[in-house]
Amino acid sequence: MSEHIVTSFDDDLREVGKLIREMGGLAGSMVNGATMALLSADIALAHRVVSDDAVMDASQRELDERAISLIARRQPMADDLRAVVGAIRMAGDLERIGDLAKNIAKRVEAIGHDAVPRDLSHSIEAMAGLVLGQVHGVVDVYGERDAEGVALLRDEDERIDVKYTSVFRELLTYMMEDPRNITACTHLLFCAKNLERIGDHVTNIAENAYYVLTGQQLPATRPKSDETAQPAA
Amino acid sequence: MTQMVSLDKIMPQTTAGKTKIEVKGLNFYYGESKALKNISLALPERSVTAFIGPSGCGKSTLLRVFNRIYELYPKQRADGEVLLDGENILGRGQDLNLLRTRIGMVFQKPTPFPMSIHENIAFGVRLYEKLSKSEMDGRVEQALRRAALWEEVKDKLDASGLSLSGGQQQRLCIARTVAVKPEVILLDEPASALDPLSTAKIEELIDELKSDYTIVIVTHNMQQAARVSSNTAFMYLGELIEFDRTEKIFTAPAEKRTQDYITGRFG
Repeated sequence: MSEHIVTSFDDDLREVGKLIREMGGLAGSMVNGATMALLSADIALAHRVVSDDAVMDASQRELDERAISLIARRQPMADDLRAVVGAIRMAGDLERIGDLAKNIAKRVEAIGHDAVPRDLSHSIEAMAGLVLGQVHGVVDVYGERDAEGVALLRDEDERIDVKYTSVFRELLTYMMEDPRNITACTHLLFCAKNLERIGDHVTNIAENAYYVLTGQQLPATRPKSDETAQPAA
Repeated sequence: MTQMVSLDKIMPQTTAGKTKIEVKGLNFYYGESKALKNISLALPERSVTAFIGPSGCGKSTLLRVFNRIYELYPKQRADGEVLLDGENILGRGQDLNLLRTRIGMVFQKPTPFPMSIHENIAFGVRLYEKLSKSEMDGRVEQALRRAALWEEVKDKLDASGLSLSGGQQQRLCIARTVAVKPEVILLDEPASALDPLSTAKIEELIDELKSDYTIVIVTHNMQQAARVSSNTAFMYLGELIEFDRTEKIFTAPAEKRTQDYITGRFG
């Protein structure tokens, strides 16, 4: 991309891009930290995730201010306009990912000091791995301005939805097997739901990124495989 | 370099309505130098079309072809076709006075005549129509109302047009253009010499006039083009680079040169 005649305009756009990358990095580390804390009952790590959320919120506010000031002062057009509006929307999704990671982290203390039994946590760990891969992936492919990669990544969310459905069923089975599992499994169910929602925010970010890069909207329909909300047959 | 222009370049896909002006293979020369190169595009009726592009790109030249005002100058000539309601206005048989009543023009600098406000408007009307005094007064009022100037000047119609502010003078020129009931209004940088409030009044006026007239505006102010027009043509070095719906041009243009220009990256 060639530079603007007014070089300070490029500086402003770079600042906005840098903030998005930083928020993306922070979102990844919060999701990772929250999952690790949950699986290993690491309360100190959970507290760190909770405090990171304040940093995330502050970054979003800073990005909003910079983006709005850029619009007011530069009146961006075409790809510049898409980049700025896209950044505002992506920052909103990243901030929500931070909230959801914080929600997971806050459950660590509620579950207690004993680590979640291995057989209960195995599926959650696998699901968290998928979600984390998506969070890191979306930041990377957008950074590389790879529109095709962004579109592929959006469709990957289906795997998270499928995994969520299976985690949901698995946890229900554990609860029915042994009522003593109910408290832990209920917390884990909420964590799984939070992870699934994080996946949805990554999807939003990917859709925004695709629009920023190409000027085209991805088709609205995307495979949906979360069946837990459907009534039983 | 001439090339066939594809149909979607001639007419933006989603523009509804009838074509008012259709340009086909238009070339324009200032003496030996070629200022417009094989321009083809279709301007829809009762809507605003903006021409943008850097200085010297040919946008004002194209506007000046539409009412053949270039014929006032020697060694300027056009070839190709410009169809107004399907009839070629570049033909030899075209009555230029009649053409200029159908296609009115407002220039960058306000150009009121050194006469009263009333007479500024009546003067042009009188060239084409015989009206009684009361009919003429009615026409003057109607034109001034149309140009959103009536309330400001109704008590001083005998004052000189030159006594008005720049913004008022420009609206007086628009009133003068509207008074002869044209079908097309050409605006060549109509607000570039005006302050932001007067500019806003002109833009508000353009918005109102577009339901009755086909409007073509040349502007260096891209935000203005984005605000007032339905379709935008980007020109560069005498060529039409891209012509599409205004939203498309300013959010996701198809051509890199358009993008570089409107984002301020042109070297």
